[in-house]
Amino acid sequence: MPSHDYPITIFASVQKNIQNIKTILHNPVDLSARVFTIGQTNHTCAVICIDGLVDKKLVNDEIIKNIQLGTSQANLRIPHSTQEIIEELANEILSIYELNKSNQLDDVMFAILSGDTALFIEGSEEVLLIGSKGWETRGIEEPLTEALVRGPRDGFNENLQTNMVHIRRRIRDPNLRFDSLIVGRRSKVGVVITYIDGVVHPQLVTEIKRRISSIDLDNVQESGFIEQWIEDSFLSPFPQIQHTERPDKVTAAISQGRVGILVDGTPFALLAPVTLGQFLQSQEDYYDRWQIGTAIRIMRYFAAFIATFLPSLYIALLEYQQGMIPSKLAFSIAGTREGVPFPAVIEAVMMEATLELLREAGIRMPKPIGQTIGIVGGLVIGEAAVSAGIVSPVMVIIVAITAISSFAMPSYSFGISLRLLRFGIMASAAVFGLYGVILSYVMINIHIANLKSFGIPYSTPFSPTLYHDWRDLVIRAPLMFLRKRPQMLQTDDPMRMNKKGGKS
Amino acid sequence: MKTFEYGDQEIGQKEIVVTTASMIVGYGVLTMPRQIAKVTSGVDGLISIFTAGLIALFGAWMAAKLAARFPQQSFFDYTSKIVTKPVAYSLSALFALYSILFASYEVRGVANIAKHYLFDRTPVEVLTLYFLLVVIYAASGSRVAIIRLNALFMPIVFGVAVLVLFMNIGYLKMEHIKPFFSTNFSGYLAGMKSTIFSFLGFEVLLFYVSMMNQPQKAMKGAIIGTSIPLLYYLASYFFVIGVFGDATTATILYPGVEIAKEVEAPGGFFERFESFSYTVWVMTQFNTALMFVDLSVICLQTLFKKKKKQGIIFVLAPIIYLCAMFPQNVDQFGKYGDWISYFGLVLAFFLPSLLFLIAKIRRVKGNG
Repeated sequence: MPSHDYPITIFASVQKNIQNIKTILHNPVDLSARVFTIGQTNHTCAVICIDGLVDKKLVNDEIIKNIQLGTSQANLRIPHSTQEIIEELANEILSIYELNKSNQLDDVMFAILSGDTALFIEGSEEVLLIGSKGWETRGIEEPLTEALVRGPRDGFNENLQTNMVHIRRRIRDPNLRFDSLIVGRRSKVGVVITYIDGVVHPQLVTEIKRRISSIDLDNVQESGFIEQWIEDSFLSPFPQIQHTERPDKVTAAISQGRVGILVDGTPFALLAPVTLGQFLQSQEDYYDRWQIGTAIRIMRYFAAFIATFLPSLYIALLEYQQGMIPSKLAFSIAGTREGVPFPAVIEAVMMEATLELLREAGIRMPKPIGQTIGIVGGLVIGEAAVSAGIVSPVMVIIVAITAISSFAMPSYSFGISLRLLRFGIMASAAVFGLYGVILSYVMINIHIANLKSFGIPYSTPFSPTLYHDWRDLVIRAPLMFLRKRPQMLQTDDPMRMNKKGGKS
Repeated sequence: MKTFEYGDQEIGQKEIVVTTASMIVGYGVLTMPRQIAKVTSGVDGLISIFTAGLIALFGAWMAAKLAARFPQQSFFDYTSKIVTKPVAYSLSALFALYSILFASYEVRGVANIAKHYLFDRTPVEVLTLYFLLVVIYAASGSRVAIIRLNALFMPIVFGVAVLVLFMNIGYLKMEHIKPFFSTNFSGYLAGMKSTIFSFLGFEVLLFYVSMMNQPQKAMKGAIIGTSIPLLYYLASYFFVIGVFGDATTATILYPGVEIAKEVEAPGGFFERFESFSYTVWVMTQFNTALMFVDLSVICLQTLFKKKKKQGIIFVLAPIIYLCAMFPQNVDQFGKYGDWISYFGLVLAFFLPSLLFLIAKIRRVKGNG
């Protein structure tokens, strides 16, 4: 336990305050404390800030320079009482828009540690807190995990302010809300809940705020921590909150009546609530013309089915229901399996596991090597395994199609869920054949029917059946048909466009 | 009024439709054509099915009417208003017993057919157990989720079932369909008897209408929900007879499944289509079994108020399993089903009408 033998009040003396703060922070190298006098007087004052967290230029030019020189240049008369000096500084000298006053050491420390500058004035127990955040951040880049062919190329970065700007720039509505919360006992990370007032269901916002404020972690490292803390069921393999790096996705979601959660220090924003269907949609579906969007979506549903069930169907057919395979195909499969020493289950599990390994290895490697791994693993091992007679070529085809299908999922986390389920279904198929496959399917559906994301059943709008929402589910109806916001979100303002147009 | 309130536990008319339909359609329809074909000739069985369907429609309407008279009230609540508490307790007990038996019948039915079409060596005991465990898993979830499952499965099941029928169009033979009206009256009656068993299940309305947000729509939902199976039964019987003829049908164990055998999947991707179509059919039998388990849970909860739902299911599971294992062979299983159906006939057809009559005479109403 660290000793708390320092005072927690602010003194009138600048030196004492500096000393106190240095004690609290254990005198780190990056703490700058600069003591100087206000121009033409002998009033002492001091700026304290953390080097690197603040915008150096701003502290030098707008704070120190103004206080030292600005007063004489403008021929200002510096009053004698410290109270008046503070007023004068705030009103006339400091050319900075973000300015707060405080007499609580707690606030001062928090401000300094988050990149603001504290200005102490001799003789006053009040401190000016000057907004000077300006650390090095990554620039705005194209989101790596969600690339699109058509659509905006900018993505979120690790800076909360920049991320908020992304959304502001897209929705110039006074009802756009950014409600800010601080989470984490030690990390004190800023979390911003964003939604459009008048569109979103008010209870949804209340519930999300309630859940976020229940977070009592010491360090919130990424939005994943928040996601896992506030999700409905931690046992479920399915993600119950969507995450995205794309500002356009967040703005589209909040204008539909969902709620976005931005977390400082991560490019991944959270979107809630989410249902099964939304994981199979990409933002690009809306940017392309509707026929393309619809066709791609239908393809994704097939891909999801294949990614989950293909290996287990293969196992079931091969081990139990050989009769169902047309005889010509059955013979050719049997021919290629000649000499393969394992039953189809072992073969499938082996190949699937290898592929998952490859995928994992490919991610961790530096980019150029990662691609090589893919080629070496996919081609060389596959080919060698077949010619060594360990697996059959049909199995390689099955595994490859499955893998490609699971990569076609627009949401990475949802794809992982399907991949996890796949192994369970394969086990079921190995013991019970088709009967096992269908019962696994039933079990998954039972789970989905019971699962909720912020009060909305995960299976909406399939069931509870909301036909209007089907226009934007498996198909993507032409834009003119999407006149209403999703019914499942129970928005305050259901209409999103006026077909008469022009007349406002 | 919005039909779907934010995250609540209520259901609407659509849900009542799918619930009724998926409850009625189950094991029965797969064997039904055999029993009708035994006693009628040609497609005359259609008349039996139609008449039985009309009776079932009336029964379903009655059950919905009775339950809708007492909005947001459970079966036990309104029966105790109509016919005193002790009688209501015994009615709940009877329904619990009936539901347990029917659930076990359905569970065993799935395993029997699965054994027949999908496995040659895996013992039926294990197949039953696996299926029952899945049912138990679903029953332990929320009640609304059960209804949502109906809505998720029903379109798939009916889609495949109707597809199978229509793919048989090429195999229809006129000589199987003719002659018309050559059955005697007792034949029609006997056909009706076996059909009406396949319509059992609409008694679920007595219990689930209490969850509706607009109970006045329950009757319409019940009628539509019962008409869907009726139409399917008619179509299915027509195709079975048209393809196999009545003499052959009378000897086929599961004509409802066998009908898919002739079909060839386009592109020759699948052979033995009946295995595939039966696999899909498992879903609707699952729904039926699940809802019967849930009904017995509802009834037992009124009898043992302090017990938790999970506790009741935990005790229920082995009982259902043992009941399902009771019949030793297909013959015994058929008799077992007949006895349950007689039981159900009384509970589903006569009881609601009787209760409704008493309620009318005694002028008992939901809000009074």
